[in-house]
Amino acid sequence: MDPRHLPVRLSFRSALALLVALSAAIPLLFVLYNSLQLSHDAWMRLWSSRLPGLLWNTLSLALLVGVGAMLLGVSAAWWVSRRDFAGRRLAVWLMILPLTIPTYVFAHIYTSLLETDGWLGRLWHLLFPDTPIPELYNIAGVTFVLTLASFSYVFLLVRDALSRSQKDLDEAARIHGATPSQVFWKINLPLLRPAIAAGLALVVLHVLSDFGAVSMLRFQTFTLSIYLQMSGRFDYQSAAGLSMVLVSLSLTFLVLERFFRNRQRYYGGAQSRRFEAPPATGFETLMIWLWLGLITLFAFFLPLAWMLHWSWQAWEDDLISEEFWGYVGNSLSVSVMAASITIFVALPVALYHARAHNRLSQLYLHVSSVGFVLPGPVIALGILAFVLAQMPMIYGGLAVLVMAMVVRFLPLAIQAQEAAVQQLTPSIEQASRSLGAGTFENLRRIILPMLSSGMISAWVLVFIDTLKELPATLILRPTGFDTLPVRIWIEASEEMLELAAPAALMLVIGTLPVLWLMMRPERAKRA
Amino acid sequence: MSHFPRFLISLFSLLLCAQPLLAAEELVIFSGRSDKFVKPVVKAFTVETGIKAVLHSGSSTSLLNKLKLEGARTQADIYISNDAGNLQKGSEFKLFKALPESIANVIPANYRAPDNTWLGVSARARVLVVSTKKHDADFVKSVFDLADPRLQGRLGITHSGNESYIAGVTVYMLAAGEEKTRKWLEGMKRNVEGSVFNKHSKIVKAVAAGKKSIGLVNHYYIYRHLAKHPDAAIKIVLPDQDGMGVAWNVAGAAVSQYTKHSDAAEKFMAFLVSDKGQKIFAQANREYPTRPGVPAAPEVPPAGSYKVADVPMARLGEMRNATLDLIESVGMP
Repeated sequence: MDPRHLPVRLSFRSALALLVALSAAIPLLFVLYNSLQLSHDAWMRLWSSRLPGLLWNTLSLALLVGVGAMLLGVSAAWWVSRRDFAGRRLAVWLMILPLTIPTYVFAHIYTSLLETDGWLGRLWHLLFPDTPIPELYNIAGVTFVLTLASFSYVFLLVRDALSRSQKDLDEAARIHGATPSQVFWKINLPLLRPAIAAGLALVVLHVLSDFGAVSMLRFQTFTLSIYLQMSGRFDYQSAAGLSMVLVSLSLTFLVLERFFRNRQRYYGGAQSRRFEAPPATGFETLMIWLWLGLITLFAFFLPLAWMLHWSWQAWEDDLISEEFWGYVGNSLSVSVMAASITIFVALPVALYHARAHNRLSQLYLHVSSVGFVLPGPVIALGILAFVLAQMPMIYGGLAVLVMAMVVRFLPLAIQAQEAAVQQLTPSIEQASRSLGAGTFENLRRIILPMLSSGMISAWVLVFIDTLKELPATLILRPTGFDTLPVRIWIEASEEMLELAAPAALMLVIGTLPVLWLMMRPERAKRA
Repeated sequence: MSHFPRFLISLFSLLLCAQPLLAAEELVIFSGRSDKFVKPVVKAFTVETGIKAVLHSGSSTSLLNKLKLEGARTQADIYISNDAGNLQKGSEFKLFKALPESIANVIPANYRAPDNTWLGVSARARVLVVSTKKHDADFVKSVFDLADPRLQGRLGITHSGNESYIAGVTVYMLAAGEEKTRKWLEGMKRNVEGSVFNKHSKIVKAVAAGKKSIGLVNHYYIYRHLAKHPDAAIKIVLPDQDGMGVAWNVAGAAVSQYTKHSDAAEKFMAFLVSDKGQKIFAQANREYPTRPGVPAAPEVPPAGSYKVADVPMARLGEMRNATLDLIESVGMP
């Protein structure tokens, strides 16, 4: 029976999903309200003076980073899952480790490395004594930084899809005489499209809402301009106007992405065989490691070396005080709380959409995505205004900060869960219902266990992003409550490299166990 | 799976209990100034009065936004900003409480709010850092010379979002008029060829390395660099602009309108303008104490040895939007 014809259950799920979407929409309502106060003249001024440049900058940046991330992410994922080579498991780790480094840390590290007396600066002088050292304060620099910081999302999702893909189709095509490249273009790539689209969506949304790198590198995108308008001039209305444009832009993009993704759904049979990667030849192994090594060098090892170098300096100078461990504790507790709450809040929306798949479910999905497309500072102000007006008793506590994180990273969790929900073959759920399981029993015994890997991925993604979150934390943290990113930001703005580095290093170290958690179930499955 | 609900409930209750546990008598300080410059003064204050304080750091501008949005609900008792513009904005938003004259009058009128709602505590001078090796910028005597085409590719300035930069432009605009300032900005824009610095310290470094010949910075960045590299090939030039004088900006503090610890907050302000507080606050960053008679760090040119532009610091806040409009219309990077 098609689940679409189960009106009672749908309305329950729908009601839950509606509730989630409404809470996620709080910052959007704040923006709407403020932008409605913007007079016609002010809109025209914005339109003529700011918008063309901002649109151009933002869109071209999103395009460039999208292309860059796809290039790195898809190629790496392909090799890692389609060839068995020495150090393959290590390679997977190396490709996701860049996720542990926030964009502002990337930007900060690479600007210092490229200074005249920085490591790369000196190397450049040695190699090209006559050409000036390249600057990062332009679109190429920002693209470089954001690509390194975000290609892992594409890698993760594409690799996940590749590891689930089954060899039947490949074999069938080969039997019918297709060449390997034909198999790639005609079979693998179309099947990968949802994963690539989802990965790209994550990347582009990160670009559209990135505040750290663009503010560090002074590249005028919407987020930076909104922030400057808001904080420099106390002009919330123009900031809201710009935010509205950004939101429409992101939503258009999301609708497009959904459109391409919806046209194709493929459920594998229950008994199919997994793809076994053939062993790589010596030459292939060399080429793979050259490529992956190059990516890793820039995306992880150089930044890590920098962090270790300056952390060591800090250690030697005895600059790491007891307070530092307090910042670590603060960061961890906020991230654990936000991630745990977010994955349950996201569940109704993901489930409802995966099953109902109608206009309403799409609408909820898009509204829930708002948290991700609005710049962090705007979300923070929206939540702040709402909490002060509606529930002032929780103001000033951790709850407000966690709430902002949940709203902000809800779309991440929905995306990750939805990918898993789509793998959940409707027939299993139907079988359980036909055996008399109710909504909750079904959820508890069938859906949650089957979704556990998706839930874990969602948890990890939200945890990592909360751990790295800066702009909303700066505004909403309780008095005197400093997290690692806040410290990095404070120390980096004072050029205290030896104090910013240990905090950045702790972010990397703090993320390792949860990444391990995410990679674990699959190892168990394979064993 | 069955303990998920219980797990959730305990998490939520944990959240709601996690209200900040501030002791009743703790002073909450929102500080837009670097931690390491504020901490010593707070420590000395606690030692002297026994009043504890919690430091909540951030950027001056975002903290002011926070104060404004929070209104009467704010926990802040004191607001410290690195820039007079923000302080004056806060006064305009009626976020601060007027201080008794006994505390305020210690500071000259130019360096505090007309209604005593904030006090300038330390001052920085807008100066030129010049290379002692390259001599192509030796002709510069005034900031307006920075627009000279001879400096093409040789000039270092920060991006136009920097608070000190904006404050400097305001002073020059008030003293020399909008047209002259616009021409000046346009000339500098040509000279920097689209590449600006995100930190003053990097400008000083670039001049010391000979990458640039001259830069526009706050005075203490030069001495911070010299403290680390005493032999650096740089010198300070105090740009007088044909008698206008050097532009100053102040860092300062204010008491929140909604403080529940008025007495303690006023004690803190009184401490900031006391001889001892002035020395600690200003010297930590080699700035000029605003209280007359308290000396600055020995390496900086003494206050009074050169002319300071006669612009009340409150004007920096009043004119900020006009300055931003000008900077944006020129399209400074």
